[in-house]
Amino acid sequence: MGEGVHHTEGPRLQSDALRSRLVEQAQDGLGAQGKVRSLLRANRSIVGDLNLTSVLERIVVVACHLVDAPYGALGVIAADGTGVQDFIHSGIDEETVRRIGHLPQGRGLLGALIDDPRPIRLRVIGDDPRSVGFPPGHPEMKGFLGVPIRVRGEIFGNLYLASPREGNFTPEDEELVLSLAATAGVAIENARLYEESVQRQEWLEATTDMTRRVLVASGEQALRTIGQRVAELAVADLVAVVLPAQEDLLGVAVAVGLDAERLAHFNYQLAGTVAEKVLRTGQPEVFEDAARHHGDGLSRVVIGDVVPLGPVMVLPMAGGEAVSGVLVVGRRPGAHPFAEAEVAMATNFAHHGSVALELAEARREAQRSLILEDRARIARDLHDQVIQQLFAAGMSLQGAAAKAEGGVSDLISDVVDQLDDAIRQIRTYIFHLRTEPGSSVGLRGQLLEVCASFAPSLGYLPRLQFIGPVDSATDERLSDDVCAVVRESLSNVARHAEASTALVVARVRGDRLEVSVQDDGKGIGTPERRSGLHNLEQRARARSGTYTVQPGEGNGTRVTWSVPTPRAGTRRETLDDE
Amino acid sequence: MTSEARIRVFILDDHDVVRRGLRALLEAAGDIDVVGETGSAVTATDRIPALKPDVAILDGRLPDGSGIDVCRAVRSVDPSINGLILTSYDDDEALFAAIMAGASGYLLKEAKSADLVAAVRRVAAGHSLIDPRLMDVVVDRIRHPDRAAPELEALTDQERRILELVADGLTNRQIGERMFLAEKTVKNYVSSILAKLGLERRTQAAVLATKLLRRSSKG
Repeated sequence: MGEGVHHTEGPRLQSDALRSRLVEQAQDGLGAQGKVRSLLRANRSIVGDLNLTSVLERIVVVACHLVDAPYGALGVIAADGTGVQDFIHSGIDEETVRRIGHLPQGRGLLGALIDDPRPIRLRVIGDDPRSVGFPPGHPEMKGFLGVPIRVRGEIFGNLYLASPREGNFTPEDEELVLSLAATAGVAIENARLYEESVQRQEWLEATTDMTRRVLVASGEQALRTIGQRVAELAVADLVAVVLPAQEDLLGVAVAVGLDAERLAHFNYQLAGTVAEKVLRTGQPEVFEDAARHHGDGLSRVVIGDVVPLGPVMVLPMAGGEAVSGVLVVGRRPGAHPFAEAEVAMATNFAHHGSVALELAEARREAQRSLILEDRARIARDLHDQVIQQLFAAGMSLQGAAAKAEGGVSDLISDVVDQLDDAIRQIRTYIFHLRTEPGSSVGLRGQLLEVCASFAPSLGYLPRLQFIGPVDSATDERLSDDVCAVVRESLSNVARHAEASTALVVARVRGDRLEVSVQDDGKGIGTPERRSGLHNLEQRARARSGTYTVQPGEGNGTRVTWSVPTPRAGTRRETLDDE
Repeated sequence: MTSEARIRVFILDDHDVVRRGLRALLEAAGDIDVVGETGSAVTATDRIPALKPDVAILDGRLPDGSGIDVCRAVRSVDPSINGLILTSYDDDEALFAAIMAGASGYLLKEAKSADLVAAVRRVAAGHSLIDPRLMDVVVDRIRHPDRAAPELEALTDQERRILELVADGLTNRQIGERMFLAEKTVKNYVSSILAKLGLERRTQAAVLATKLLRRSSKG
C-alpha cells in the first residue's frame, strides 16, 4: 500500500489525506474482502444441504444477508412456465403474510423476470412501468434486485431482494447475487438428484415389497396393495385401478384414498377417455390439472368428474405383453403436479405390479391345473382299477351263487347288489372328479351341485346315484324341475326328518325319468309338512307324471317323482310353429 | 341243446379279471359259449370276423384303440355280428359310443348277472337295446347342431354327412357305397371324426356326449 502514497502537500495535510485514503482503501478492501468472504460462506452453506426445501429457504436467507436486504424471496416457476408454483420468502412475519392473503402469483415485476430471465435492478420498485403495485397490508419496498436461477440451463426460478439498508442495490450487489444464483443452481440440482435417488430407493423397496404381497394375495386384495403403495409413494390423494369391464365399458376395480367410496363399482364408457388412449399406446399420460383438461377433441379423465382432481397421471398396467388396465393417480386440485421423475418411477412401479399380477395368476393357474390333473388321475385309477375289480368280483360271486344252496345264494345276491351300489357310487365320484366345478352341463352336474349345497344344512353330504342315461333323457326344463324336486325334498329332510343319511337317485326307466329322495329319519311327516310339497305334485302333474310320498325302506321317508322323458326335436317343432 | 341254438360270444377287454369273470358268468348261463377273448383292439379286429360270433362284447377304450373302431370294422365285413359296447364310464357316454359304433347296445360294468346274460341273449336274437327315443335325440342333435356343441362345427360338410349316416346305423361299407367312397376312406373319415369330437381322449368324451345328447329346451 505504501507505494501508492504521494508526498504532494505539507506533512500535516499529507498525512491527513494519506490517513483518510488509507482508511478508505482499507475500508474498500475490507468491504470487498468481507463481501467475497461472506459470498464464500454463503456458497458453502447452501451447497452443504441436500434437502430441497431447506436449500431454497437457505438461499433466500443467505442472499438477504449478502446484500444486507431485509426482504428476500425465491419464486419457483411452474413446469409449464406460466406462473409461480412455489414462493419461499423471508423478512415478512407470518401475521403479515396472513393479512396479505395470498402469495405472489407471478405478475408484474416478478412476471417480467419470468418472461425475460435477465437481472432487474431498480432504485424504486413503484417507478418501474412493469410494477403492478403491492396488495393492501404489504410492507412498502423501494430498491429491487431480481436475478434468475438456472438449473442445468433451464430457468428454475427467480431470486428477489428488496429494500436494502444502504438505500440502493449496487452493481456489485448484482454481481454477488448473480454469483450466488449460480451456486444456488448447483445446490438445487444436487438436492433434487439426492431427493430423486432417495425416492428411487423408496420406490424400489416398495416394488420388492409389493411384488411379494401381490404374489400371495389374489384378486381385489392384490390390486388394493398396488393402489395403496402408489398412493403413499406418489403422495397421491386418490389412486384408482381401472380395468376394462364388459364390451365398451371401463370399471373401477379398486379405489384408494380421497372419496374412494364414491368410485366403488363405478363404470363408464371407454370411448374418448384418457384410459382408452393409455390402453392403446401403453404410454403414461400426465396432466397438471385434470379440471382444465376438458373440451372437444380431448380425451377425458372421467374419474376427475366424480372426484375433483388437480394433477393426474394415468399409467399403463402392462405386464408381459398386453396392457391389462390403467392406474389413475391423482392429487387434490391445486396440489403440486407430478414431476417427470415421479411419473417415470410410478410407471415402472405399475409395470412391476402388472408383472407380479400376471405371475400370481399364472401360479394360481398352475396350481389349478395340478389339482385338475390330480383329480383326473384319481378318476382314472378308480376307473381302471377299482371298478374293474369290483365288477370282476361281482361276476365271480355270481358264478359261485349258481352252484350254492338257496340261503347262501340269496346272501350272495345281496352282496352283489351292494357291489353294484358301490360301483354306481364310484361312478358318481368319477363323474364329479372329471367335472370342473361350476361348469356342469346336464342334469348330473346340476344334481351334484344341488347335493353339495345341502351338506352344511344337513350336516352330511347326501349320496347321489345315476341309473341310465339321465343327461341324454332330459332337457334343460326337465333338469330344472328335477333340481327343484331334489332341493325341496332335501330341505324337508334338513328341517323335519332328523335323518343321518339321504340318498338321491335319478334313473331313466324306459321312457320315464324318475327321481327319488330317501332319508333314514323319523318317518312320514305331518300334514303341514306335506302341504309344502304341493308344488312338487303340481310340477309332476303338469308333465303327466306322478309324485308319491311313502315310508322308506326300514324307516324314514321316500319321495318319488316320475315323469315321461321329452321327445327329440320338440324344441324345434315349437320354434317352427311360432 | 344243439350248437345252432347256442350263442357264440367274443370278449374284448384289457383287464384280465374282467375277461375271466365275464367268461365264467356267461358260460354259467348254459346257452352261451365264449369262443374267443383278447385285450387288444388290433387282435380283435383280425380275429372276430374269422370266428363269426353272434355277439362281440367290446370294451369302449383300449390301450391300442377303441371298441368303437373295432365294432365298425367288424360289422363292415360281417353285419351279422352284433356289437355290445362294455364300459365302466357312465350311461350317457356309453350310449353315444354304442351309436357311433353301430352296436346293438351297451353294457355298464355292473355285476348283476341277470342283466348281462339277458342283454347278450337279446342282442344275439337281433334286438337293439338302445331306446329308439334316445337314438332319435342323438341323430336329431347331429343333424341340427347348435351352439351347445361347438365341436360339431369343426367337422367338414363331408364329415358331417358321414356322421349322420353313422348315426343312422350304416356300416362303413354301406356308407362307402352310398357316398361312392372306398371303405378304407370311410374308415379314415370316421377316425378323424372321433378325433375331432374328442372321443379319443377319455376326459373330454363324457362332456361332449352330454352336449350332443342333450336337447336344449331354451331358445
